[in-house]
Amino acid sequence: MFRWKATAALAVAAALVLTGCSGGGSGSEGSGSADRLTLTAIASPTSYDIGAGAEYGNRSPFFQAVFDTLLQKDSKGEIQPWLATAWEYNDDKTVLTLTLKDGVTFTDGTPLDASAVVASLERFRDGTSPQAATLAGKEFAAVDATTVTITQTAPDPSLVNLLSIAPGLIEAPSSFGNADVATNPIGSGPYILDTASSVTGTTYNYTANPDYWNKDAVKYQNLTINVLEDPTATLNAIRAGEANGAKIADNNTISEVEGAGWTIESNELDFQGLLLLDRAGTMAPQLADVKVRQAINMAFDREALLQSLQTGYGTVTEQVFPKTSVAYDESLDSTYPYDPAAAKKLLADAGYPNGFTLNMMSTPAFQQTFDLVAQQLSDIGITVNYTDPGTGNFITDMLAPKYPATWMALEQNPDWQLINFMIAPDATFNPFKYEDPKVDALISTIQTGSQAESDTAVKELNTYLVDQAWFAPFFRVQGTFATDANTNLEFWPTNAYPSIFDFSPKN
Amino acid sequence: MLAFIVRRLLSGVVLIAVISFLAFTLLYAAGGDIARRILGENATAETVAKKTAELGLNRPLLAQYGDWLSSAVTGNLGRSWFNGELVSVSVSGRLSVTLSIVVGATLVSAILSILLGVLAARRGGVIDAGVQFLSLVGFAVPGFLIALLLVLVFAVNLGWFKATGYTPLTTSFSGWVASVVLPIVALSIGAIATVAQQVRGSVIDATSRDYVRTLRARGLSENSVIYRHVLRNAGGPALAVLAVQFVGLLGGAVIVEQIFAIPGMGQLSVRATTQGDIPVVMGLVIAFAIIVVVVNLLIDLAQAALNPKVRLS
Repeated sequence: MFRWKATAALAVAAALVLTGCSGGGSGSEGSGSADRLTLTAIASPTSYDIGAGAEYGNRSPFFQAVFDTLLQKDSKGEIQPWLATAWEYNDDKTVLTLTLKDGVTFTDGTPLDASAVVASLERFRDGTSPQAATLAGKEFAAVDATTVTITQTAPDPSLVNLLSIAPGLIEAPSSFGNADVATNPIGSGPYILDTASSVTGTTYNYTANPDYWNKDAVKYQNLTINVLEDPTATLNAIRAGEANGAKIADNNTISEVEGAGWTIESNELDFQGLLLLDRAGTMAPQLADVKVRQAINMAFDREALLQSLQTGYGTVTEQVFPKTSVAYDESLDSTYPYDPAAAKKLLADAGYPNGFTLNMMSTPAFQQTFDLVAQQLSDIGITVNYTDPGTGNFITDMLAPKYPATWMALEQNPDWQLINFMIAPDATFNPFKYEDPKVDALISTIQTGSQAESDTAVKELNTYLVDQAWFAPFFRVQGTFATDANTNLEFWPTNAYPSIFDFSPKN
Repeated sequence: MLAFIVRRLLSGVVLIAVISFLAFTLLYAAGGDIARRILGENATAETVAKKTAELGLNRPLLAQYGDWLSSAVTGNLGRSWFNGELVSVSVSGRLSVTLSIVVGATLVSAILSILLGVLAARRGGVIDAGVQFLSLVGFAVPGFLIALLLVLVFAVNLGWFKATGYTPLTTSFSGWVASVVLPIVALSIGAIATVAQQVRGSVIDATSRDYVRTLRARGLSENSVIYRHVLRNAGGPALAVLAVQFVGLLGGAVIVEQIFAIPGMGQLSVRATTQGDIPVVMGLVIAFAIIVVVVNLLIDLAQAALNPKVRLS
């Protein structure tokens, strides 16, 4: 009997604590103050060691918090000075000279000088981070304590942009040998990771770096990033007021987020659609005929796809260059209006009056997309034969290459990165290594020509690719970030996650 | 007694070794290209090949398992492939979180199911029917649905508890309570439904036995008969059911931790398994296996203590 009494007492005590806690909880939220910024993210860093895991995109805030980049993108996407106060190319654009800010130290007290920057860049280049290859073949040298040169064999129009994202992150060389380098980052950034109160993969707590060189840029004393992989958990955190800013992975929840009094910020970085990879017809001979590729483009009712797959959040498109590129041409987006009859005629002209069978991959997570794609293609006579490559093999099999065409969501980068990502003969997403002399010549002009020549060439390239139907894009998906009533945000137009410097408390 | 414990622990070690090998090979069979998964779509083929070699994934399966096993027996479970954290730190850090919830749910369900079970058995009639009906509902409604409802009502609308996340007991007691109550309630309901039925059946069964009639004839009070004697006999089967429930609750924690975004072993299991983070999955498999072996051993000992007729042989 005594035990029951003890239990009852415990229950009463718990109830008292709870009432106390709920009262205190609402008082200490204080989300509008400059004390703490709480964000939710959908992915955690694979490794804080830049040689193993440096990444931007959805993982950018974790790296931005603890490391500085050599250059910085402002909220309009323009490159600004940061650790490097000035940068200049030589005449043939093979040597970039960077002037570093003097007197910056890493949070372990070691100096951030030219030799540290060189060591850090080399670690990134020689490591296995996703973008490691972007610095391949480049040589770094410390001319004096505050001057670094980057030497390359040929011009790289994306280099300056790269130095403002993952490849430009500077990690303290003194930490390279640490056993916990993957989970305990040492940089010169605005915040220091509080490893004691953080749970790797789930909750990351940071405190402001007391010796930061650019204190004006730091608007919160503490930063917390909670990783919420489940869209419902994100929605619950928003409704319960447990965050100030949240990455919205599921656009179907936008109306509920707005209903909770939050503000939606958006950009468009990824396009979804078909990659018609086997343009030479080595695996699917039909795809060698441009008429077939054009017919495929005309088979899709893009507006309807956008509506049913993304609840309308996004913009239909027929080009792979983003709106922020000089190559973007709005009129290209009406090159292939939805017209199954015309598509059938094109197929007949190409010698396939009865259509043909096309092998493609599917994956359960996007079943609705695959069903709609198959249905629209079957309307013009193309039968899709899907194979599920199994968990974790979708990209591997695509790049093997094992399929002539595939549905995919790809990110749209600045021009030179985009070209080397999905168009150039050795681009990752040109797995058949398809080449076209006209494309090669334009790429060469973009790489070595003057700014004006390059701008003209990239526009011409985009028009040519749409004309030749290298791809069959459907739409650009809206990237969504939401903030609560106490938080201002200027959302980067060029990254999946906002810059942590672009958050500020209201009032 | 000691020999029994030693024998059970030894068979536990063999069990863990077999499970670890099965888990390792199954993960490989389902694995796909892990290096590509770690690096994402931006990486070039060269970077992927470099990563594969760095992780030793290009070597034969048995060689990889051998390496894992030889370092595991020295206590080194390696580091996560996806976030670089020591597996021992990952797993032990999340163990306390999951145990908070699962042990809490086991205690709550043990207490409530015994109360409800005895009540239903003794009173009969409408009360019995009511308890049986509630058990049926608790049994039929999936835990995740209850969890989602609880979040909406008590965290989002009323703001009494946390909707997401976990506050360690060492940081703040009230914060800890606010983060564990809803998960415990969500987990307990199904368990209460099952165990209450078991207790009810055992009590009804025991009260019709001869010894109960004798006890009553000797003039013992009804409370004394039920709580001192009947429950002692009915407790054995109930304990066995509770042990099964405890292991089941570990599984239930997987879903509940996802919904409440609680950094426990369940959430870690989901992430590590879907990613193919083999070192972490192996660490979790071993931790779960140890828990199950130890719980079963403890239940056997508890049953022996409860009822001397149950011999440990």
